[in-house]
Amino acid sequence: MMERKEIIEGLVEILKTVRTINPDKLSVITEETDFIKDLNTPSTEMINIVAKTEQKFDVEFEDDDIDNLGSKVKNVVDLILKSKDKA
Amino acid sequence: MELPGRKVAVVGMGGAFPTCTNLSDFCRKIFSNQSLIREWDEAVAFGKNIRSTVSGYITDAEMGLDTIYSTLMEHNYPETYIDKLNRIPETNLATADIGSIWAMLGSMDAIKMAGWSVPETESEKTGVIIGSGGAGNVILRSAWHNFYELGKKTRVAGAHTVDRTMVFREAANVTCLIKNKGICESIGSACATGLGNIGYAYRLIKFGLQDRVIAGGVEGTSLETFIGFDGMQVLSRGFSASESSRPFDINRNGFVCSFGGGIVALEEYEMAKARGATIIAIIDGYFNNGDGDSDMFYPSFSGQKRLWQGLLAESGKKPDVVKVHGTSTHAGDPIELFSVVDVLGEDGFHISAPKSQFGHMLGAAGSVEFIASLLMLKEQMVIPCLNSINLNTELEPFQTEPGWVGPLKPMAAYRDLIPQKSLVKEVNTVTCLNYGFGGTNSAISISRDI
Repeated sequence: MMERKEIIEGLVEILKTVRTINPDKLSVITEETDFIKDLNTPSTEMINIVAKTEQKFDVEFEDDDIDNLGSKVKNVVDLILKSKDKA
Repeated sequence: MELPGRKVAVVGMGGAFPTCTNLSDFCRKIFSNQSLIREWDEAVAFGKNIRSTVSGYITDAEMGLDTIYSTLMEHNYPETYIDKLNRIPETNLATADIGSIWAMLGSMDAIKMAGWSVPETESEKTGVIIGSGGAGNVILRSAWHNFYELGKKTRVAGAHTVDRTMVFREAANVTCLIKNKGICESIGSACATGLGNIGYAYRLIKFGLQDRVIAGGVEGTSLETFIGFDGMQVLSRGFSASESSRPFDINRNGFVCSFGGGIVALEEYEMAKARGATIIAIIDGYFNNGDGDSDMFYPSFSGQKRLWQGLLAESGKKPDVVKVHGTSTHAGDPIELFSVVDVLGEDGFHISAPKSQFGHMLGAAGSVEFIASLLMLKEQMVIPCLNSINLNTELEPFQTEPGWVGPLKPMAAYRDLIPQKSLVKEVNTVTCLNYGFGGTNSAISISRDI
Protein backbone atom coordinates (compact mmCIF):
# COMPACT_ATOMS: atom_id res chain seq x y z
CA MET A 1 0.00 0.00 0.00
CA MET A 2 1.27 3.45 -0.92
CA GLU A 3 2.03 5.78 1.92
CA ARG A 4 0.20 9.10 2.16
CA LYS A 5 3.44 11.04 1.69
CA GLU A 6 4.10 9.22 -1.54
CA ILE A 7 0.58 9.97 -2.76
CA ILE A 8 0.96 13.67 -1.97
CA GLU A 9 4.19 13.76 -3.96
CA GLY A 10 2.31 12.24 -6.88
CA LEU A 11 -0.46 14.81 -6.53
CA VAL A 12 2.08 17.62 -6.66
CA GLU A 13 3.37 16.21 -9.94
CA ILE A 14 -0.19 16.35 -11.28
CA LEU A 15 -0.70 19.90 -10.02
CA LYS A 16 2.45 20.98 -11.84
CA THR A 17 0.69 20.15 -15.13
CA VAL A 18 -2.30 22.37 -14.34
CA ARG A 19 -1.28 25.71 -15.80
CA THR A 20 -3.92 27.75 -13.97
CA ILE A 21 -2.20 26.90 -10.65
CA ASN A 22 0.72 29.08 -9.67
CA PRO A 23 3.71 26.67 -9.48
CA ASP A 24 5.29 28.77 -6.69
CA LYS A 25 2.54 27.56 -4.36
CA LEU A 26 3.40 23.89 -4.88
CA SER A 27 6.50 23.88 -2.66
CA VAL A 28 4.48 23.66 0.57
CA ILE A 29 1.69 21.21 -0.12
CA THR A 30 0.36 19.42 2.97
CA GLU A 31 -2.65 17.28 3.77
CA GLU A 32 -4.50 20.44 4.84
CA THR A 33 -3.79 22.39 1.66
CA ASP A 34 -7.09 23.42 0.05
CA PHE A 35 -7.08 23.33 -3.75
CA ILE A 36 -9.58 26.16 -4.02
CA LYS A 37 -8.71 28.43 -1.09
CA ASP A 38 -4.95 27.94 -0.89
CA LEU A 39 -3.99 27.24 -4.50
CA ASN A 40 -6.68 29.38 -6.17
CA THR A 41 -7.48 26.46 -8.43
CA PRO A 42 -10.43 27.34 -10.66
CA SER A 43 -13.25 24.98 -9.64
CA THR A 44 -13.57 23.88 -13.27
CA GLU A 45 -10.05 22.42 -13.11
CA MET A 46 -10.89 20.04 -10.25
CA ILE A 47 -12.34 17.37 -12.54
CA ASN A 48 -9.18 17.47 -14.64
CA ILE A 49 -7.12 16.89 -11.48
CA VAL A 50 -9.43 14.05 -10.46
CA ALA A 51 -9.16 12.35 -13.87
CA LYS A 52 -5.37 12.69 -13.88
CA THR A 53 -5.31 11.26 -10.37
CA GLU A 54 -7.23 8.19 -11.50
CA GLN A 55 -4.72 7.65 -14.28
CA LYS A 56 -1.61 8.25 -12.20
CA PHE A 57 -2.63 6.01 -9.30
CA ASP A 58 -4.43 3.46 -11.47
CA VAL A 59 -7.75 3.74 -9.64
CA GLU A 60 -11.34 4.35 -10.67
CA PHE A 61 -13.47 6.68 -8.55
CA GLU A 62 -17.23 6.38 -8.18
CA ASP A 63 -19.34 9.32 -9.36
CA ASP A 64 -20.86 9.65 -5.88
CA ASP A 65 -17.40 9.88 -4.32
CA ILE A 66 -16.36 12.57 -6.79
CA ASP A 67 -19.58 14.49 -6.12
CA ASN A 68 -18.86 14.42 -2.39
CA LEU A 69 -15.13 15.04 -2.62
CA GLY A 70 -13.78 17.81 -0.39
CA SER A 71 -11.35 20.38 -1.69
CA LYS A 72 -8.40 19.53 0.55
CA VAL A 73 -5.42 17.38 -0.39
CA LYS A 74 -6.27 14.90 2.36
CA ASN A 75 -9.69 14.33 0.83
CA VAL A 76 -8.11 13.19 -2.42
CA VAL A 77 -5.55 11.05 -0.57
CA ASP A 78 -8.36 9.39 1.39
CA LEU A 79 -10.32 8.70 -1.79
CA ILE A 80 -7.29 7.17 -3.50
CA LEU A 81 -6.67 4.85 -0.56
CA LYS A 82 -10.37 3.96 -0.29
CA SER A 83 -10.51 3.16 -4.00
CA LYS A 84 -7.35 1.06 -3.82
CA ASP A 85 -8.83 -0.85 -0.88
CA LYS A 86 -11.93 -1.66 -2.91
CA ALA A 87 -9.83 -2.83 -5.84
CA MET B 1 -33.47 52.78 -35.27
CA GLU B 2 -30.68 55.04 -36.44
CA LEU B 3 -30.00 58.15 -34.43
CA PRO B 4 -29.57 61.16 -36.73
CA GLY B 5 -26.05 62.53 -36.84
CA ARG B 6 -24.51 59.53 -35.15
CA LYS B 7 -21.60 58.09 -37.15
CA VAL B 8 -19.36 55.09 -36.62
CA ALA B 9 -15.59 55.10 -36.99
CA VAL B 10 -13.06 52.29 -37.21
CA VAL B 11 -10.27 53.10 -34.76
CA GLY B 12 -8.35 49.85 -34.35
CA MET B 13 -7.63 46.48 -35.94
CA GLY B 14 -5.74 43.27 -35.36
CA GLY B 15 -5.85 39.65 -36.33
CA ALA B 16 -4.25 36.42 -37.44
CA PHE B 17 -3.02 36.13 -41.00
CA PRO B 18 -1.42 33.11 -42.73
CA THR B 19 2.39 33.29 -43.00
CA CYS B 20 2.38 36.78 -41.45
CA THR B 21 4.05 37.81 -38.21
CA ASN B 22 1.74 40.77 -37.66
CA LEU B 23 -0.57 43.31 -39.32
CA SER B 24 2.33 45.21 -40.92
CA ASP B 25 3.68 42.02 -42.43
CA PHE B 26 0.19 41.21 -43.76
CA CYS B 27 -0.05 44.71 -45.28
CA ARG B 28 3.36 44.43 -46.92
CA LYS B 29 2.66 41.00 -48.39
CA ILE B 30 -0.77 41.69 -49.85
CA PHE B 31 0.27 44.91 -51.56
CA SER B 32 3.41 43.27 -52.95
CA ASN B 33 1.28 40.65 -54.72
CA GLN B 34 2.31 37.70 -52.56
CA SER B 35 0.26 34.59 -52.00
CA LEU B 36 -0.27 33.44 -48.41
CA ILE B 37 -1.45 29.99 -49.54
CA ARG B 38 0.74 26.93 -49.00
CA GLU B 39 0.70 23.21 -49.51
CA TRP B 40 -0.62 21.89 -46.19
CA ASP B 41 1.30 18.96 -44.73
CA GLU B 42 -1.64 18.00 -42.49
CA ALA B 43 -3.82 17.50 -45.57
CA VAL B 44 -1.10 15.85 -47.64
CA ALA B 45 -0.69 13.25 -44.88
CA PHE B 46 -4.11 11.80 -45.75
CA GLY B 47 -3.06 10.87 -49.29
CA LYS B 48 -5.84 9.94 -51.65
CA ASN B 49 -8.48 10.27 -48.94
CA ILE B 50 -8.38 14.03 -49.30
CA ARG B 51 -8.92 15.89 -52.55
CA SER B 52 -7.38 19.34 -52.03
CA THR B 53 -4.13 19.95 -50.16
CA VAL B 54 -3.61 23.73 -50.30
CA SER B 55 -4.67 26.22 -47.65
CA GLY B 56 -3.98 29.57 -46.08
CA TYR B 57 -3.40 27.91 -42.72
CA ILE B 58 -1.70 29.24 -39.58
CA THR B 59 0.38 27.09 -37.26
CA ASP B 60 0.62 27.41 -33.48
CA ALA B 61 4.28 28.34 -33.76
CA GLU B 62 3.50 31.19 -36.15
CA MET B 63 1.18 32.68 -33.52
CA GLY B 64 3.65 32.18 -30.65
CA LEU B 65 1.47 29.40 -29.25
CA ASP B 66 1.92 25.77 -28.34
CA THR B 67 -0.60 23.00 -27.71
CA ILE B 68 -0.48 20.75 -24.65
CA TYR B 69 -2.16 17.46 -25.50
CA SER B 70 -3.99 15.49 -22.84
CA THR B 71 -2.25 12.46 -21.37
CA LEU B 72 -5.68 11.00 -20.57
CA MET B 73 -7.08 11.07 -24.07
CA GLU B 74 -5.92 9.59 -27.34
CA HIS B 75 -5.96 11.25 -30.77
CA ASN B 76 -4.44 14.58 -29.82
CA TYR B 77 -7.00 16.12 -27.51
CA PRO B 78 -5.82 19.67 -26.69
CA GLU B 79 -5.81 19.96 -22.90
CA THR B 80 -4.81 23.59 -23.11
CA TYR B 81 -2.61 26.02 -24.98
CA ILE B 82 0.55 27.88 -24.03
CA ASP B 83 1.13 31.50 -24.99
CA LYS B 84 4.90 31.53 -25.36
CA LEU B 85 4.89 35.33 -25.45
CA ASN B 86 2.86 35.66 -22.22
CA ARG B 87 0.20 37.89 -23.73
CA ILE B 88 -2.83 36.06 -22.34
CA PRO B 89 -3.35 34.90 -18.69
CA GLU B 90 -3.50 31.14 -18.09
CA THR B 91 -7.10 31.32 -16.82
CA ASN B 92 -8.18 32.79 -20.16
CA LEU B 93 -6.16 30.26 -22.15
CA ALA B 94 -7.88 27.45 -20.24
CA THR B 95 -11.28 28.34 -21.69
CA ALA B 96 -10.16 29.00 -25.26
CA ASP B 97 -9.80 27.02 -28.45
CA ILE B 98 -7.22 28.21 -30.96
CA GLY B 99 -9.64 30.55 -32.74
CA SER B 100 -10.66 32.15 -29.44
CA ILE B 101 -7.00 32.79 -28.66
CA TRP B 102 -6.58 34.50 -32.02
CA ALA B 103 -9.70 36.55 -31.23
CA MET B 104 -8.24 37.61 -27.88
CA LEU B 105 -4.90 38.56 -29.45
CA GLY B 106 -6.63 40.50 -32.23
CA SER B 107 -8.84 42.27 -29.71
CA MET B 108 -5.84 43.29 -27.62
CA ASP B 109 -4.12 44.71 -30.71
CA ALA B 110 -7.27 46.53 -31.82
CA ILE B 111 -7.84 48.09 -28.39
CA LYS B 112 -4.20 49.13 -28.20
CA MET B 113 -4.40 50.77 -31.63
CA ALA B 114 -7.70 52.43 -30.66
CA GLY B 115 -6.14 53.82 -27.51
CA TRP B 116 -9.13 52.98 -25.31
CA SER B 117 -8.53 53.48 -21.60
CA VAL B 118 -9.33 50.73 -19.10
CA PRO B 119 -12.57 52.49 -17.98
CA GLU B 120 -13.61 52.92 -21.62
CA THR B 121 -12.87 49.26 -22.39
CA GLU B 122 -14.69 48.02 -19.28
CA SER B 123 -17.67 50.32 -19.79
CA GLU B 124 -21.33 49.29 -20.05
CA LYS B 125 -21.26 51.06 -23.41
CA THR B 126 -18.54 48.78 -24.81
CA GLY B 127 -19.64 45.60 -26.57
CA VAL B 128 -18.06 42.49 -28.07
CA ILE B 129 -19.53 41.02 -31.26
CA ILE B 130 -17.42 38.20 -32.69
CA GLY B 131 -18.35 34.98 -34.47
CA SER B 132 -16.97 32.08 -36.43
CA GLY B 133 -18.22 29.81 -39.16
CA GLY B 134 -17.66 26.44 -37.52
CA ALA B 135 -17.69 24.95 -34.06
CA GLY B 136 -14.57 24.10 -32.05
CA ASN B 137 -14.07 21.16 -34.36
CA VAL B 138 -10.49 20.30 -33.37
CA ILE B 139 -11.59 19.70 -29.79
CA LEU B 140 -14.93 18.06 -30.61
CA ARG B 141 -13.45 15.49 -32.99
CA SER B 142 -11.09 14.09 -30.41
CA ALA B 143 -13.51 14.39 -27.48
CA TRP B 144 -16.23 12.50 -29.31
CA HIS B 145 -13.84 9.83 -30.57
CA ASN B 146 -12.54 9.14 -27.06
CA PHE B 147 -16.07 8.83 -25.69
CA TYR B 148 -17.84 6.95 -28.46
CA GLU B 149 -15.10 4.84 -30.00
CA LEU B 150 -12.65 4.34 -27.15
CA GLY B 151 -15.21 4.13 -24.36
CA LYS B 152 -13.62 6.70 -22.10
CA LYS B 153 -15.49 8.51 -19.34
CA THR B 154 -16.72 12.02 -20.05
CA ARG B 155 -14.58 13.42 -17.22
CA VAL B 156 -11.27 12.60 -18.87
CA ALA B 157 -11.97 15.42 -21.35
CA GLY B 158 -12.03 17.85 -18.42
CA ALA B 159 -14.34 20.80 -17.97
CA HIS B 160 -13.58 22.78 -21.12
CA THR B 161 -15.28 20.94 -23.94
CA VAL B 162 -18.26 23.29 -23.93
CA ASP B 163 -16.64 26.68 -23.45
CA ARG B 164 -14.05 25.88 -26.11
CA THR B 165 -16.46 24.59 -28.76
CA MET B 166 -19.74 26.49 -28.41
CA VAL B 167 -21.06 29.04 -30.83
CA PHE B 168 -20.15 32.36 -29.15
CA ARG B 169 -16.88 31.00 -27.72
CA GLU B 170 -14.73 33.75 -29.29
CA ALA B 171 -16.95 36.55 -27.99
CA ALA B 172 -17.20 34.83 -24.59
CA ASN B 173 -13.44 34.54 -24.28
CA VAL B 174 -12.80 38.11 -25.40
CA THR B 175 -15.32 39.58 -22.98
CA CYS B 176 -13.81 37.57 -20.10
CA LEU B 177 -10.41 38.95 -21.08
CA ILE B 178 -11.25 42.64 -21.57
CA LYS B 179 -14.06 42.81 -18.96
CA ASN B 180 -16.44 45.01 -20.95
CA LYS B 181 -19.91 45.31 -19.45
CA GLY B 182 -21.91 45.95 -22.61
CA ILE B 183 -23.55 43.70 -25.18
CA CYS B 184 -21.74 40.44 -25.96
CA GLU B 185 -23.09 38.27 -28.78
CA SER B 186 -22.15 36.34 -31.90
CA ILE B 187 -23.71 36.60 -35.32
CA GLY B 188 -23.60 33.51 -37.51
CA SER B 189 -24.12 33.82 -41.26
CA ALA B 190 -21.80 31.18 -42.76
CA CYS B 191 -19.20 32.83 -44.96
CA ALA B 192 -20.73 36.26 -44.36
CA THR B 193 -20.12 35.87 -40.60
CA GLY B 194 -17.04 38.10 -40.40
CA LEU B 195 -18.76 41.01 -42.08
CA GLY B 196 -22.09 40.25 -40.41
CA ASN B 197 -20.60 40.68 -36.95
CA ILE B 198 -19.02 44.00 -37.94
CA GLY B 199 -22.28 45.14 -39.51
CA TYR B 200 -24.27 44.25 -36.42
CA ALA B 201 -21.70 46.01 -34.24
CA TYR B 202 -21.97 49.08 -36.46
CA ARG B 203 -25.72 49.13 -35.94
CA LEU B 204 -25.36 48.85 -32.14
CA ILE B 205 -23.37 52.09 -32.20
CA LYS B 206 -25.39 53.76 -34.94
CA PHE B 207 -28.62 53.02 -33.06
CA GLY B 208 -27.19 54.41 -29.83
CA LEU B 209 -27.06 51.12 -27.89
CA GLN B 210 -23.26 51.07 -27.55
CA ASP B 211 -20.45 53.63 -27.93
CA ARG B 212 -17.64 51.17 -28.65
CA VAL B 213 -17.59 47.59 -29.96
CA ILE B 214 -14.89 45.01 -30.56
CA ALA B 215 -16.11 43.14 -33.62
CA GLY B 216 -15.05 40.58 -36.18
CA GLY B 217 -14.80 36.97 -37.23
CA VAL B 218 -12.40 34.11 -36.67
CA GLU B 219 -11.81 30.65 -38.13
CA GLY B 220 -9.16 28.65 -36.31
CA THR B 221 -6.98 26.26 -38.30
CA SER B 222 -8.82 22.94 -38.44
CA LEU B 223 -8.48 20.04 -40.83
CA GLU B 224 -11.81 18.87 -39.39
CA THR B 225 -13.40 21.98 -40.91
CA PHE B 226 -11.44 21.66 -44.16
CA ILE B 227 -12.55 18.10 -44.95
CA GLY B 228 -16.24 19.00 -44.95
CA PHE B 229 -15.67 21.34 -47.86
CA ASP B 230 -13.25 18.89 -49.45
CA GLY B 231 -15.98 16.28 -49.52
CA MET B 232 -18.30 18.73 -51.28
CA GLN B 233 -15.80 18.84 -54.19
CA VAL B 234 -15.78 22.63 -54.00
CA LEU B 235 -12.10 23.18 -53.23
CA SER B 236 -9.44 24.13 -55.74
CA ARG B 237 -7.12 21.38 -56.94
CA GLY B 238 -4.54 20.83 -59.64
CA PHE B 239 -2.70 24.14 -59.30
CA SER B 240 0.41 25.07 -57.36
CA ALA B 241 -0.42 26.59 -53.99
CA SER B 242 0.10 30.21 -55.04
CA GLU B 243 -1.93 29.71 -58.23
CA SER B 244 -4.79 27.76 -56.69
CA SER B 245 -7.05 30.68 -55.78
CA ARG B 246 -7.92 32.39 -59.06
CA PRO B 247 -11.17 34.38 -58.88
CA PHE B 248 -12.69 35.22 -62.27
CA ASP B 249 -10.06 33.22 -64.20
CA ILE B 250 -11.59 30.84 -66.73
CA ASN B 251 -9.65 27.90 -65.29
CA ARG B 252 -10.76 28.41 -61.67
CA ASN B 253 -12.08 25.20 -60.16
CA GLY B 254 -12.95 25.98 -56.55
CA PHE B 255 -11.99 27.96 -53.49
CA VAL B 256 -9.02 27.52 -51.20
CA CYS B 257 -10.15 26.68 -47.65
CA SER B 258 -8.21 28.95 -45.29
CA PHE B 259 -8.11 30.14 -41.72
CA GLY B 260 -7.51 33.43 -39.93
CA GLY B 261 -8.94 36.11 -37.74
CA GLY B 262 -9.91 39.75 -38.15
CA ILE B 263 -10.92 41.98 -35.24
CA VAL B 264 -11.72 45.71 -35.41
CA ALA B 265 -12.47 48.37 -32.83
CA LEU B 266 -15.49 50.51 -33.71
CA GLU B 267 -16.38 53.75 -31.92
CA GLU B 268 -18.95 56.50 -32.18
CA TYR B 269 -17.28 59.03 -34.44
CA GLU B 270 -17.61 62.21 -32.35
CA MET B 271 -16.32 60.45 -29.24
CA ALA B 272 -13.33 59.14 -31.15
CA LYS B 273 -12.58 62.57 -32.61
CA ALA B 274 -12.97 64.25 -29.23
CA ARG B 275 -10.29 62.10 -27.65
CA GLY B 276 -7.96 62.58 -30.62
CA ALA B 277 -8.14 59.04 -31.96
CA THR B 278 -6.82 58.17 -35.39
CA ILE B 279 -9.83 57.51 -37.61
CA ILE B 280 -8.93 54.60 -39.86
CA ALA B 281 -12.27 54.78 -41.68
CA ILE B 282 -15.87 55.84 -41.36
CA ILE B 283 -18.59 53.28 -41.95
CA ASP B 284 -21.00 54.84 -44.44
CA GLY B 285 -23.61 52.11 -44.22
CA TYR B 286 -24.32 48.42 -43.82
CA PHE B 287 -27.02 46.37 -45.47
CA ASN B 288 -27.82 42.67 -45.47
CA ASN B 289 -30.55 40.54 -46.96
CA GLY B 290 -31.50 37.07 -48.19
CA ASP B 291 -31.84 35.55 -51.63
CA GLY B 292 -35.31 34.19 -50.94
CA ASP B 293 -35.02 31.55 -53.64
CA SER B 294 -34.92 28.31 -51.62
CA ASP B 295 -31.38 27.55 -52.81
CA MET B 296 -28.85 26.77 -50.09
CA PHE B 297 -25.75 27.21 -52.25
CA TYR B 298 -26.26 28.93 -55.59
CA PRO B 299 -25.73 32.71 -55.60
CA SER B 300 -28.59 34.96 -56.63
CA PHE B 301 -28.20 37.81 -59.10
CA SER B 302 -31.42 39.42 -57.92
CA GLY B 303 -30.45 38.97 -54.28
CA GLN B 304 -27.14 40.72 -54.86
CA LYS B 305 -28.83 43.49 -56.86
CA ARG B 306 -31.19 44.12 -53.96
CA LEU B 307 -28.19 44.08 -51.63
CA TRP B 308 -26.56 46.88 -53.62
CA GLN B 309 -29.74 48.91 -53.77
CA GLY B 310 -30.12 48.67 -50.01
CA LEU B 311 -26.52 49.62 -49.36
CA LEU B 312 -26.47 52.56 -51.78
CA ALA B 313 -29.72 53.87 -50.34
CA GLU B 314 -28.03 54.03 -46.94
CA SER B 315 -24.50 55.07 -47.86
CA GLY B 316 -25.16 57.13 -50.98
CA LYS B 317 -21.58 56.53 -52.04
CA LYS B 318 -20.29 54.92 -55.21
CA PRO B 319 -17.05 53.11 -54.34
CA ASP B 320 -13.61 53.53 -55.85
CA VAL B 321 -12.97 49.86 -55.11
CA VAL B 322 -15.36 46.95 -54.73
CA LYS B 323 -13.86 44.33 -52.48
CA VAL B 324 -15.73 41.30 -53.76
CA HIS B 325 -16.44 37.96 -52.11
CA GLY B 326 -14.67 36.47 -55.18
CA THR B 327 -14.26 32.87 -54.07
CA SER B 328 -12.83 31.36 -57.27
CA THR B 329 -15.83 29.10 -57.80
CA HIS B 330 -17.55 28.50 -61.13
CA ALA B 331 -20.93 29.84 -60.11
CA GLY B 332 -20.05 32.56 -57.63
CA ASP B 333 -17.64 34.72 -59.57
CA PRO B 334 -19.64 35.54 -62.73
CA ILE B 335 -22.87 36.22 -60.83
CA GLU B 336 -21.02 38.59 -58.53
CA LEU B 337 -19.15 40.34 -61.35
CA PHE B 338 -22.35 40.87 -63.30
CA SER B 339 -24.28 42.20 -60.31
CA VAL B 340 -21.47 44.67 -59.59
CA VAL B 341 -21.30 46.07 -63.14
CA ASP B 342 -25.07 46.05 -63.48
CA VAL B 343 -25.26 48.42 -60.51
CA LEU B 344 -22.08 50.48 -60.86
CA GLY B 345 -21.56 50.50 -64.63
CA GLU B 346 -18.50 49.46 -66.57
CA ASP B 347 -15.89 51.93 -65.37
CA GLY B 348 -14.91 54.35 -62.62
CA PHE B 349 -13.98 51.69 -60.06
CA HIS B 350 -11.79 48.62 -59.58
CA ILE B 351 -12.52 45.16 -58.27
CA SER B 352 -10.32 43.68 -55.57
CA ALA B 353 -10.38 39.98 -54.67
CA PRO B 354 -8.26 39.29 -51.57
CA LYS B 355 -9.16 35.60 -51.56
CA SER B 356 -6.81 35.32 -54.54
CA GLN B 357 -4.00 35.90 -52.05
CA PHE B 358 -5.08 34.12 -48.89
CA GLY B 359 -8.03 31.94 -49.85
CA HIS B 360 -11.43 31.72 -48.21
CA MET B 361 -11.26 32.10 -44.42
CA LEU B 362 -14.91 31.06 -43.96
CA GLY B 363 -16.22 32.80 -40.81
CA ALA B 364 -13.18 35.07 -40.80
CA ALA B 365 -13.37 35.96 -44.50
CA GLY B 366 -15.53 39.05 -44.10
CA SER B 367 -13.54 40.52 -41.24
CA VAL B 368 -10.05 39.87 -42.61
CA GLU B 369 -11.14 41.23 -45.99
CA PHE B 370 -12.64 44.22 -44.14
CA ILE B 371 -9.19 44.81 -42.66
CA ALA B 372 -7.68 44.42 -46.13
CA SER B 373 -10.13 47.10 -47.29
CA LEU B 374 -9.12 49.40 -44.43
CA LEU B 375 -5.53 48.94 -45.60
CA MET B 376 -6.55 49.97 -49.13
CA LEU B 377 -7.83 53.26 -47.72
CA LYS B 378 -4.64 53.66 -45.69
CA GLU B 379 -2.16 52.73 -48.41
CA GLN B 380 -4.09 54.29 -51.31
CA MET B 381 -3.62 51.10 -53.27
CA VAL B 382 -5.90 48.42 -54.68
CA ILE B 383 -5.32 44.82 -53.61
CA PRO B 384 -5.03 42.66 -56.74
CA CYS B 385 -6.86 39.67 -58.07
CA LEU B 386 -3.94 37.29 -58.50
CA ASN B 387 -4.20 34.57 -61.14
CA SER B 388 -7.15 36.17 -62.93
CA ILE B 389 -5.15 35.59 -66.10
CA ASN B 390 -7.77 34.65 -68.66
CA LEU B 391 -11.40 35.69 -68.41
CA ASN B 392 -14.11 33.92 -70.36
CA THR B 393 -14.60 35.57 -73.76
CA GLU B 394 -17.88 33.75 -74.24
CA LEU B 395 -21.17 34.19 -72.44
CA GLU B 396 -21.82 32.11 -69.33
CA PRO B 397 -24.53 29.49 -69.97
CA PHE B 398 -26.97 31.24 -67.64
CA GLN B 399 -26.62 34.47 -69.66
CA THR B 400 -28.36 32.83 -72.60
CA GLU B 401 -31.25 31.47 -70.60
CA PRO B 402 -34.67 33.07 -70.77
CA GLY B 403 -35.29 35.25 -67.78
CA TRP B 404 -31.68 36.49 -67.44
CA VAL B 405 -31.89 40.22 -66.94
CA GLY B 406 -28.22 40.99 -66.28
CA PRO B 407 -25.37 42.08 -68.53
CA LEU B 408 -25.10 40.42 -71.94
CA LYS B 409 -21.34 40.74 -72.28
CA PRO B 410 -18.87 37.99 -71.31
CA MET B 411 -16.67 38.29 -68.23
CA ALA B 412 -13.71 39.28 -70.40
CA ALA B 413 -15.49 42.55 -71.26
CA TYR B 414 -14.68 43.70 -67.71
CA ARG B 415 -10.96 42.89 -67.78
CA ASP B 416 -9.97 46.48 -67.04
CA LEU B 417 -11.86 46.45 -63.75
CA ILE B 418 -9.84 43.53 -62.36
CA PRO B 419 -6.15 44.30 -61.75
CA GLN B 420 -3.81 41.29 -61.65
CA LYS B 421 -1.24 43.28 -59.67
CA SER B 422 -1.71 45.81 -56.90
CA LEU B 423 -2.55 49.23 -58.20
CA VAL B 424 -1.83 52.73 -56.91
CA LYS B 425 -4.80 55.08 -57.11
CA GLU B 426 -6.88 57.43 -55.00
CA VAL B 427 -9.08 55.24 -52.81
CA ASN B 428 -11.66 57.17 -50.80
CA THR B 429 -14.48 54.65 -50.57
CA VAL B 430 -14.51 50.84 -50.58
CA THR B 431 -17.53 48.55 -50.65
CA CYS B 432 -17.07 45.13 -49.04
CA LEU B 433 -19.25 42.20 -50.16
CA ASN B 434 -19.64 38.78 -48.56
CA TYR B 435 -22.20 36.02 -48.99
CA GLY B 436 -22.96 32.78 -47.20
CA PHE B 437 -24.71 29.43 -47.55
CA GLY B 438 -28.42 29.81 -47.12
CA GLY B 439 -28.48 32.79 -49.47
CA THR B 440 -27.39 35.39 -46.93
CA ASN B 441 -25.74 38.54 -48.30
CA SER B 442 -23.88 41.36 -46.52
CA ALA B 443 -22.44 44.64 -47.76
CA ILE B 444 -20.69 47.51 -46.03
CA SER B 445 -19.31 50.80 -47.29
CA ILE B 446 -16.28 52.47 -45.70
CA SER B 447 -14.62 55.79 -46.46
CA ARG B 448 -11.59 57.82 -45.49
CA ASP B 449 -12.19 60.57 -42.95
CA ILE B 450 -11.55 63.53 -45.27
